[in-house]
Amino acid sequence: MISIGSVLLMTLALGASTSQTQGPVFPYPIDVHDFDNGLKLVGVKFDSPGLAAYYSVVRVGARQEVDKGKSGFAHFFEHMMFRGTEAYPTDAYNDALRGIGADSNAYTSSDRTVYHILASASSLPHIVEIEADRFQNLKYEEAEFQKEAGAVLGEYKKSAANPFSGLFEKLQDTAYDVHPYQHTVIGFLEDIEAMPTLYDYSLEFFDRYYRPEYVTLLVVGDYEWDALLAEVTDKYGDWQRGGYVPDIPEEPPQTAPRRGEVSWPAPTLPILAVAYRAPAFSTDAIDMPGLDVLSQVHFGSTSPIFQDLVLEKQWVDFIQAGATDQVDPPLFTILTRVRQPDKLEAVEAAILAEVERISNELADASKLDATKSHMKYQFLTGLDTADAVANTMAHYLSLTNDPRTVNRVYELYDQVSAEDVRRLAKKYFGASNRTVVTLTPSPDASGGSEEE
Amino acid sequence: MRWMVLVLLMCVVGSVRSVVGDERDTVLLESPGNPLVSFRFVFHVGSSDDPDGKQGLAALTALMLTQGGTEELSLQEAMEVLYPLAANVSSQPDKEVTTFIGRAHRDHLEEFFSIFRERLEKPRFAEDDFARNKDQLLNFVSKSLRSQDDEELGKHAFEWQLFQGHPYQHPVEGTVQGIAAITLDDVKKFYREHYTFANLQIGLAGDFPTGFAERVREDFRKALPAGSDEKESLPELTKGKGLDVMIVDRAAADSTAVSLGFPLSITRADEDFYPLLVANIYLGDHRSFNGVLMNELRAKRGLNYGDYSYIEAFIQEGGSTFPVPNISRRQQYFSIWIRPVAHDNAHFALRGAIHFLRRLVDEGMSEEEFSAMRDYVRSYSKLWVQNLDRRLGYQMDSSFYQTDFYIDAIEKKLESMTVDDVNRAVKRHLDRWDFRVAVVSGEAAKLKQAIETNQKSPMTYQAEGTADDVLAEDKRIEVFELPIEGVRIVPASEMFEK
Repeated sequence: MISIGSVLLMTLALGASTSQTQGPVFPYPIDVHDFDNGLKLVGVKFDSPGLAAYYSVVRVGARQEVDKGKSGFAHFFEHMMFRGTEAYPTDAYNDALRGIGADSNAYTSSDRTVYHILASASSLPHIVEIEADRFQNLKYEEAEFQKEAGAVLGEYKKSAANPFSGLFEKLQDTAYDVHPYQHTVIGFLEDIEAMPTLYDYSLEFFDRYYRPEYVTLLVVGDYEWDALLAEVTDKYGDWQRGGYVPDIPEEPPQTAPRRGEVSWPAPTLPILAVAYRAPAFSTDAIDMPGLDVLSQVHFGSTSPIFQDLVLEKQWVDFIQAGATDQVDPPLFTILTRVRQPDKLEAVEAAILAEVERISNELADASKLDATKSHMKYQFLTGLDTADAVANTMAHYLSLTNDPRTVNRVYELYDQVSAEDVRRLAKKYFGASNRTVVTLTPSPDASGGSEEE
Repeated sequence: MRWMVLVLLMCVVGSVRSVVGDERDTVLLESPGNPLVSFRFVFHVGSSDDPDGKQGLAALTALMLTQGGTEELSLQEAMEVLYPLAANVSSQPDKEVTTFIGRAHRDHLEEFFSIFRERLEKPRFAEDDFARNKDQLLNFVSKSLRSQDDEELGKHAFEWQLFQGHPYQHPVEGTVQGIAAITLDDVKKFYREHYTFANLQIGLAGDFPTGFAERVREDFRKALPAGSDEKESLPELTKGKGLDVMIVDRAAADSTAVSLGFPLSITRADEDFYPLLVANIYLGDHRSFNGVLMNELRAKRGLNYGDYSYIEAFIQEGGSTFPVPNISRRQQYFSIWIRPVAHDNAHFALRGAIHFLRRLVDEGMSEEEFSAMRDYVRSYSKLWVQNLDRRLGYQMDSSFYQTDFYIDAIEKKLESMTVDDVNRAVKRHLDRWDFRVAVVSGEAAKLKQAIETNQKSPMTYQAEGTADDVLAEDKRIEVFELPIEGVRIVPASEMFEK
């Protein structure tokens, strides 16, 4: 299949977005319960007879990796969560999942670690039992810990040949000085290589973050609320609150333009990222939603710059922009790959000129309306399975721990005006707030016959 | 959304059987109340129809239909129409079929269909669209595939190695010289010859209005040439005596990925496929800890990120663990995929993969293992069709193989299946030594010599603490004598050249 560029969509993960003219955008009933120990349980009723998604959302990710030499540890720890307990050693845990025919996995991002299981609704009590057990009683030997470090190193290596990995490592390292967003989620290679020595640290990590106040349980699909609540109360009710709060350094404001270059040891088209410090996820102001709308209006598939650089001049093979929803300020990144390598500088100049233009000119009103419609229908068409709904809800729970956030975000999208878009471009896209990173093949990059 | 209670109408406007025959089949899944309508149009044409010297023509033609203008609208204008609907039309070219996939909210069904039909019935074939799409394919093969993703390179190299001299050999996206040689006239001719009504299977799912499906079918029947759906038979793949290894030399690679396997003579249409499905999930369930390979190589040894096996071509859907539907092929294969390992462990990994396969072949599954796997497959297979669009894709695949709906077929076969059925199927189809092997490595010469001479290959551990029984088994694996037929090195820069 043609999969060109698919990695880019994953890397930027602009998030589902929409606008809404009437009523809340999220169309499913929500149940919520807050436990005394800080744990939250959220249920979303979704018409998937006989099927339920069970998500454990842990609000820990690369953002908490403040200790030196520990980059990538949240992700590594995600792997360790599959290493069993006394009641359910690894094999027994796997057998339990297999017995209910579950699809199960986990992922880690900058702000969260999410464990997800999709299985029959009738197996929910069993899922609650095995998940409650591993979140409270995880136990593994040092040898198992070391084996898993090998799997993580393999995971790093499987993506190492991708030039976008190299570009993002450099971009984050250049744009941030002190905040842990300086490193990617998988972490620096030297830290990954040192992981087998960190068994004791892993126990401390579990003790700090795998605590009820960091966790929200989310069930989407076919469930009976009272029974679910009773099960969760029974199995998680005695879980002790922790209290650890990491000291995450605040990134000081940027004061001058920054630049980074990556010389890539294999054939590649040049890649260009033009990034600006952007606001943290917040529904208190129009800034974050406004920039989401801006990214579509001015850099989406019907934007003037897309038409110019992708379709008419054909200097680049794609262009896209946006900021990831993050707890602390992310980067708003304009990303493109240059088809005609001698046009790299011209492409950068065209992007900067466009940034200047959108800081001064109002976006076309019909384009703004079309964009809001696009965002709304993209959101709605994405909610087609219990798992997809859970994934969307988990995203917002990891940011605010409030299931109403999704509706608030979409209300704000609807309120974004052309003037907001222009004002936000001016506010955030100044030269002193900018980091540009280019990736080009090194002169001795070998391995491809590139001329046709 | 109500996919589980949907009214499943295998009815048709005409008839419902297979793609082959003089009546068209149209697969309709009606789901009252579902706000989304899915379109899957499967044309019985793919990269195996690429003319010699023009490898990539089927993929480029598909791209021209989805990433090009129509007679009425330029690409830009078509995108402007689809943008507020958040709808698009994508193509999924494969070896034998090319699928056009679209999905729209029912609010916009007519608007969407007007663009969808224009794309497939009246492509513009503009020079500027052609230049852009051709360049995109060429960059994909010459740069992305050769040097930016060793896993993808390995998988494509494996098919290259397995299907030597067969129409499935080259990547669906084409070869460097093949793509370079394609002209716009080639695309137009290919479209005229293959995008016929006889080659088309229409799939619709969702809450579409009465008469809509009939109208869609009639529209395409009139617009496309009638054509013929006759297909040449595929050449036989010859059996070998031992391992035939191709090492793709990519100096910058800092780890080694390994794929190995051999052709299978069965597909979903055969009885033996189903017991083999159970055995395969036991051996190498994709991205789960159910498989022997994953547990032995990753969990116990920390060898790499993952180790899986397959009994048909498998393309993962996004970040999920499920395969995309509509990768229908008449010729299938068994394969094992060892994700990148440290260079020093590559030879051990190859031996380990075959060692654990041989254990299954020689010892079979126990009654208890079989029972656990059967129950798992019964439940897990239901998750493959979570939404209506995937269900539609699977339904159309079933039509390709001329079987009952695949998921129902699995359920039915499992009812009477025994552990003996499984172990017999394993013996019949997996008891072979003529593995075709593709390896992507940064240390090609060293590995070549080691494999050729069956050198001892002890596993190098990153840390202490491996269980004694595992270490004892390692001692047997590291000297496992493999029958080697040949080992050759091909520079990555020369892969998929022509």
